[in-house]
Amino acid sequence: MSTYSTDRRSLLRIIGSIGATCAFPFASEDLYGQTAEHQHGSSAPASPLPHFFHERDFKTIARIADLIIPATDTPGASGAGVPEYIDALVARNTDHQLVVADGLRWLDAEAQRTGQKPFLELSEDQQLAIFEPLCTAYDANRENPARNVQFFGLIKNLTADGYYTSRIGLMDELKYQGNKILSSYPECH
Amino acid sequence: MQSKLYDVVVIGSGAGGGTLSARLASLGADVLVLEGGPKIDTFTDFNTHGLPFEFPYRHVPLMRAGKPGFDGERSRGLGGKTQLWNAVSLRFSQRDFKGRDHDGAGENWPVDYADIAPYYDRIEREVGVCGNYDHLEDLPDGVFLPPAPMKCTDLAIKKGAATLGVNVIHVRKATLTRKSQTRPACHFCGNCMSGCDVAAKYNSLNVHMLPALATGKLTLQHNSIVYDVAVSDEARVKEVRYFDRETRAEGVARGRSVVVACACAQSVALLLMSKSSRFATGLGNSSGELGRNFIPHITAGFEVFLEDFIGKAPTDDQGFLDHAYIPSFMHTKKRDYARSFGVQFNYQNHRMAGWARSLPGMGKNYKEAVKARYPAYMVFTGYHEMLPNRESYIDIDANDLDTYGLPKPRRYWKLGGSDQKLHEDMVRSCRAILDASKAQIHSAAPQPVTNHEVGGCRMGDDPKTSVVDRFCRSHDVPNLYVVDASVFPSSSEKNPTLTIMALAARTADHIAERLQKREI
Repeated sequence: MSTYSTDRRSLLRIIGSIGATCAFPFASEDLYGQTAEHQHGSSAPASPLPHFFHERDFKTIARIADLIIPATDTPGASGAGVPEYIDALVARNTDHQLVVADGLRWLDAEAQRTGQKPFLELSEDQQLAIFEPLCTAYDANRENPARNVQFFGLIKNLTADGYYTSRIGLMDELKYQGNKILSSYPECH
Repeated sequence: MQSKLYDVVVIGSGAGGGTLSARLASLGADVLVLEGGPKIDTFTDFNTHGLPFEFPYRHVPLMRAGKPGFDGERSRGLGGKTQLWNAVSLRFSQRDFKGRDHDGAGENWPVDYADIAPYYDRIEREVGVCGNYDHLEDLPDGVFLPPAPMKCTDLAIKKGAATLGVNVIHVRKATLTRKSQTRPACHFCGNCMSGCDVAAKYNSLNVHMLPALATGKLTLQHNSIVYDVAVSDEARVKEVRYFDRETRAEGVARGRSVVVACACAQSVALLLMSKSSRFATGLGNSSGELGRNFIPHITAGFEVFLEDFIGKAPTDDQGFLDHAYIPSFMHTKKRDYARSFGVQFNYQNHRMAGWARSLPGMGKNYKEAVKARYPAYMVFTGYHEMLPNRESYIDIDANDLDTYGLPKPRRYWKLGGSDQKLHEDMVRSCRAILDASKAQIHSAAPQPVTNHEVGGCRMGDDPKTSVVDRFCRSHDVPNLYVVDASVFPSSSEKNPTLTIMALAARTADHIAERLQKREI
């Protein structure tokens, strides 16, 4: 007899979670990674936003989020309140806070090195030139990314989560149609 | 003053406890149901229709603000997991009950399909199961309401599977497609697993227990967490000890008989906790089999995008989540493993797009890619049986206590050689069906994952190798019963709940008969 599970601890964690809700695998009801955030901080919503980021850092995060999800025929990340969502989640998660602090410090230096200006004063092309290689690296290896890649990955994940759970993202961009009262289920034509 | 002596004390109010208690009350027995969790009002307590942007952290909480419930394994609420289940209701076949006769592996049940069939009939009439008459050898038809039409995305899978000779059928669910005398028909909002706020989907509180209150024979006592089932010198249950979930005040309930229906691992845990000088390793454990033979369903899940639907306009196809099912199809094939699998798919809820973050890229192209794939996204999950083995069991950890100070159940499982072959064939078959259906695989579960919990109090005729008899009665303690999936000697690949309910109904009749004969 052999087993797929290499260590009992991870096995228990997987199976330990099923008793509570009998959740389906991949039910997509929960955002990946939100469980951790819920465990780290208090459940009470905090004071007016932003309450974790300094003003300039908040603008930087908003700018990165807009590079990831720009405005098209629908608003982009900042138009959908994503920076506020990121601020709220990072404020509650000490792991995220360390990644963000390291990332912002790295970004300051990288902007000076490549454009001799603060990040927010660089052109869009210059800003993309910093992040697109990180995006490529993140897509190639999400398991053990370098610290700056990890920073990009965190902001991308939070941007995607925040955008597609916003009213603009879910209702206007994706055009979610469910949650209605139907008298019968339509046949497929 | 001694507390009231009930005919039956039932611990747990879900599919097993709810079905059994309602039946016994209707037959005239005095029944007390002890539920660890709070009182639930199905119609008002859940955030059934919540959308993520209505909540500060975008996670739709299960319960509405200020409403307690479902905060842990020992404290769910009236109705138990039937409040949140997906309602898939499949009959086990004769082959499922007698698997060992077919492939020489695992254990047979001590009952046949013919013993359980009348109870399936009764339960299906009571709860309302929709489905199609498919005339399959391995998935018996039942008493069905009309099925809901398949989704367009289901038909893509049906077409692809057909090229491989694989059959896709309408799902069978305890969700009303026509209104009944007391419940409305499903309105297809797609939020079934968030608590159905009209009870079109079966739950044991609204469909079984609340109507049974009219008998005057049923008492529902919530917030009562049982920690000990105590026996007399004559090895009979004499009382059930509990404490209040909120105040921690101790209480005692007395019954001529006691039914443990706490959902598999929790039932096992309660019996293991109920030690005494007579039963030093747990109540009813003279066989040493209590907790053993844990055989949960094993799954392999995929997230996919159906090519034909990429870029299509989104439609309101949520329905009641999955509308189709791929029944076990390998019994007729020559194969080198025991048992089989089925596939549940298209049960995702589109009010979340949690997969978006894992799509590659950034910028306008990324945003367009997410939008284009949104109508094409589907989950596709194979479920298979596993055989019992000595390394798969449930025990309790005296050093790891929950918020109530009670030991948490621990689950151990390990796939045997045959199970692994079955798993690999299931993964291979799922990939082939997806490929034939022009589905791009976005992600695949990296390893087997458990789902429905089964086993731990095996049913059997031999007291040396099983915990309960064919009527779910303890071999050791003649007035102690267990009704949930822990008693299943084999799990089948089919969802367990309909069979839990059928067994509970059968055990209820059996207890009523014994009460009438004054055997209890």
